[in-house]
This record gives sequence, C-alpha cells and structure tokens, in this order.
Amino acid sequence: MSNRLTAPDRLARLLSVIPWVTRQDDGALIEDIVTRFDYPRAQLLHDLQDVVFFVGVHPFTPDSLIEVEIGDERVHIRYADWFSRPLRLTPAEGARLLTAGRSVLPLTESDDDNSAGPLLRALTKLGTALGESAADAVDVRLGHAPSDTLAILRDAVARQRQVDIEYYTYGRDELTERRVDSSRIFSDQGNWYLSGWCHRAGGERVFRVDRVRAVALTEEPNTDVGPTSASSFSLDGDYPRVVLRLAQSARWVVEQYPVEQVVENDDHIDVTMVVTAIPWLERLLLRLGPAAELLHRDPTLPEDLRSNAASRVSTRYQ
Amino acid sequence: MSKLERLLNLTAALLDTEMPLTAEKIWDRVGGYPDAKASFRRAFERDKDELRAMGIPIDVAAVPGTDPPIDGYVIDRADYAGEELRFEPDELAALHLATNLVRLDGNDTGLMKLVGAAQIDPDGINIADQVGRVPFDDALAALISAAADRKAVAFCYADTDRVVEPWRLSFSRGHWYLKGWDRVRGAERLYRFDRLQGPVQVAGAAEEAVGTVSDPLDLRGWELGDGEPTAARVFIDADQASWARHILGEVDDVDGGVVATLQVRNMEAFRSFVLSFLDHAEVLEPAEFRDDMVSWLGAMQ
Repeated sequence: MSNRLTAPDRLARLLSVIPWVTRQDDGALIEDIVTRFDYPRAQLLHDLQDVVFFVGVHPFTPDSLIEVEIGDERVHIRYADWFSRPLRLTPAEGARLLTAGRSVLPLTESDDDNSAGPLLRALTKLGTALGESAADAVDVRLGHAPSDTLAILRDAVARQRQVDIEYYTYGRDELTERRVDSSRIFSDQGNWYLSGWCHRAGGERVFRVDRVRAVALTEEPNTDVGPTSASSFSLDGDYPRVVLRLAQSARWVVEQYPVEQVVENDDHIDVTMVVTAIPWLERLLLRLGPAAELLHRDPTLPEDLRSNAASRVSTRYQ
Repeated sequence: MSKLERLLNLTAALLDTEMPLTAEKIWDRVGGYPDAKASFRRAFERDKDELRAMGIPIDVAAVPGTDPPIDGYVIDRADYAGEELRFEPDELAALHLATNLVRLDGNDTGLMKLVGAAQIDPDGINIADQVGRVPFDDALAALISAAADRKAVAFCYADTDRVVEPWRLSFSRGHWYLKGWDRVRGAERLYRFDRLQGPVQVAGAAEEAVGTVSDPLDLRGWELGDGEPTAARVFIDADQASWARHILGEVDDVDGGVVATLQVRNMEAFRSFVLSFLDHAEVLEPAEFRDDMVSWLGAMQ
C-alpha cells in the first residue's frame, strides 16, 4: 500500500474518484477518498491540486477545465462532464469480483433467512453486466466439509471457545477424541482447516475440518497460549526418513508432499521424505506401484512395508 | 506536463469529441507530447496501450471527409461507462467484505470503479480473519467471462488444439476445472485449468446449449479423461463410511459398510482413490477392474 503509485495506477483511481466526488451533495471528505480508493493522502492532494486542476480539453480556457476546490478537509469537483461516470468494469475485473463473491457466499448468507442477502443481490447485478450465463459461470468451494461441522467451528472461533472433536488422523488411520482451542479457521488449497492448541497433544495443531467426525462446542474459553499461526504444518525432527527413487511419471509426489531433499537424475528422481505415520507411507507406495522404489529405509520402520501392505489389501480379494 | 495529466487530457479529448481525432490533432490539442514527430508517435502509442489495458475502449475509425482515409481515435461515451451498475450500500459492503475474506492472486482494480467501495462496518464482520486464498489469473478471468457471456474459446490441452464452449469454472480441492463443450470432439468435457497450455483466445459466439453442469463436489480425478466412462462399484467398510459419504455424496448403505458407484474414465486415479482406503475398501465390479487391482497389488508382493 505504501508503494509508490505509477501513473496508470493514479489514473485508474482518479477515473473512479472524480465521478464519485462529483456525485456527493457537498463534496467529499479527503479522508474518505483516502480510505475508499486506497489513495495515499499526500499523493491524492498533489494529484488533485497539481494535475486534475489543469485537466480539460482544447483550448484549455477556464470554462473548458475541471474545477477542483479543496478546503476544510473537503474536496469539491465540478465541470468534469467527461468523467461523470466511472469507467466500466473490464470482463476480467467482473470475473474477479464474481469469483470472490461466489467464494464467500456460503459463509455470509445466513440459512435462517430466505430473502437474498446483500452479497447475492450484488452478485446478481454484477452478473447482468457480465453476460446471460454469469450465474452459472463460476463456482468456488473453499473446502469440502459438512456445513454443520463448519458452522459449529466458525461459531467456536468467533466466540474463542474450546471444542471437543472426534478426529480422524488420515496418516495413522485412527480416530481420536481431543479437546482443542478454536483459534482460527481457514481454507487452503481447497480444504478447510482449524488451527489451535490441542490439549491432548500439548501443542499447536492444524486439523482438516473434513476429517472432524464429531464436534461439540464447550463453555470453556480458549486457553491463552499466544498467537497461533498456520505454520504448524512444519514437521519436527523425530520422524524417520525414507529415500524413494521415483520414475519421472511420479514427479507429482515432489509437488504434493513435503520432501527434505530432491536429487534429479535423467530418468528418475531420488527424494528424501519424512514419515509421520506408517499408513501414509503405505498408501503412497501402493498408489505409486512400479513408479517408486524404496531406496533407503530408516531402521525403525518395518521391513517389507510395501509388500505387507499389498498382501493385506489383497486378502480382501481372495 | 506530467504523464498523468497528459493521460487524463487525452482521455477527456477522446471522450469529448464526436468525430474521430487524427493523431496530428491529438498532438496539437492534447499537449504534453514531445515536439519531434517520431517521439510523439512512440509516446502516443504507449499511452493508447496503457489506456486500453485499463479497459478504456479507444476506437479507431476513418476521419469523415478524408481521402485517402486517415485513421482517427475516439472513445464512445456509452461504451466507456458501460451499463451502469447501481449497487445499494449494503451490496457494495458485501462485495468489499468478500474481496477481503478471500484473497485472489493478482490485483483487484474492479471494486474501486463501483463508485467507491463502501467502507464496511467492522462490527458487521463476524469472521475476524481472511479465510482463504484462491489462485487466479488472466487466463482464468478470460474463461469465466467467456462462460458468462456465452463465447467459445481456443486453447491447447494435452498437446491438442481445442475449441471449447466454456460452461462453468469450478474451484474444488485446490484446483480449477473447466467444464464445457468440446467442439472438435462434439462432446462434454472436463479440463484441469492448470494443464491448459498456451494462451486462451476468444473464438466467436457459443452455439451449443449449456449442458447440465455438475456440482464441483462431483469433480473427481477418476472422471477426468476422454471416452465413455465405466461404472465401477466399490465396497467401503463401515468405519470409513462417513468419510466416503462425505467425499462421494451418494453411497448405498449395505451390511458392514457402504457401496459407492463411480464413473471411471481414468483408471490410475480410480486405483489411487480405492487404495487410499488401504484394506478398508474393495473393488466389487466390473471384473476387469477387480483383476487390475489384484494384479497391481500382486506385483508388489
């Protein structure tokens, strides 16, 4: 925000500021313009007094110039007929607004009210400007979680209360019951997460909301353990490591999982990975099949991990 | 004269005129341009590009009465402002809140144009923090506006040039998907947006009626691909049933678990999905999918 604005940045702002100010009954407060248009005050005053004041059309006589008057913290702008209406939204800008609006629509519209909320009304109007099919053109799921679970957790975060959750730990393939502080709820890469102090683990944890099987709001306020961050994804050093040799076709593993080290070769990639839980590694190896070879295994990990997992799953087919 | 002043004067002059203005006249009347003709041309071309990039519709038309015809420049006032969008204060506040809650990659310049985004009453926000981030770029914006405005687009996907009538862009599980009508294949198709290659270009008006657009919850890896889907039935143990129901939506309750029916076009994605349940799931049919799973697992034992 404090970055210097370029000439096109300032032009874009002025083409919005001028029509807005001319429409106010008694000019506009400088402070209002600064906040509404994200226009640094000193830059705004300079641009109004030293630029807009001289703008007009040939022959630039006083009657063909915009009139700008600044005083008492207010700005009046008159005779700016060319700029009486704001520049239309570009299709790209419209698409952005529509996308942002659609993303949060499920969060802001209340269920107990049948009438369309302000956001839905705004998006409907925006849609008419974008085209006949705008209503169906874009759909955003910030996360896939049961709406009732999400609603309880959002309520808990708003009130900063502890929750009791039944949580399915995918990596370890186990279900646990935990008391958790509800510090923050956020979406990342298409999943909802709850972050907060886990009383069972005695540490800050991040939980995927779609793996919360049951949730109950408690009367207990969150314990004050300091600010929470979403950085708790980081893994500590006690976990065993494996080195996998991946075929090029399995390159997605490097993009999708935290890897400690990557060694590129012509026809394969060697990656060092942290094993937080054995079922996680089993799933990965079973999925990859011949595209992965277990090059090195930490001695604490069981031998024949992949073949044992494969035969365990195979028994279902006998 | 500053560049900002020149850009404003140029915009005002082109909005003010009824008849297209020649470059010569602009040089003479707008002011602020270099005296040398070649430098003027360069500066004027740059200005035009910058104004157009902001969405200002500068038209080029022959100046009436010139022979041979000379190009002139003009901005149509109605086109400049477009259809006026009149938002209530609470609607602007809601849009403002939306753009604060979810961060789209890239710059947001649209809200400012809506006659000054209204300030939001901090007490009115019940979600304290930004809740999410969604990837976004110009190509995606072009696809969304094409879908909204019923235009066809051309792009390259899987090393093949395609002409597609976009129906809907869906963000689901961290990825954008495009669903639409593939003209070359004459069929409905689903594309992973991040796998589009090269630019997206508008290719005329859409012709095919918008088909049933599935809910993004239904967008799953094993459905992506060409060809007719094969229906596969998978049994999932009771202790994983709620997880499965959540991912798949419709599942049938049976003794000891649930049975899901999946429409499979991509075998690898299907296999991965079933294996993610480890020994809590089993492919029931068709027989060749069962056999595929057995031999896949057999190769690792």
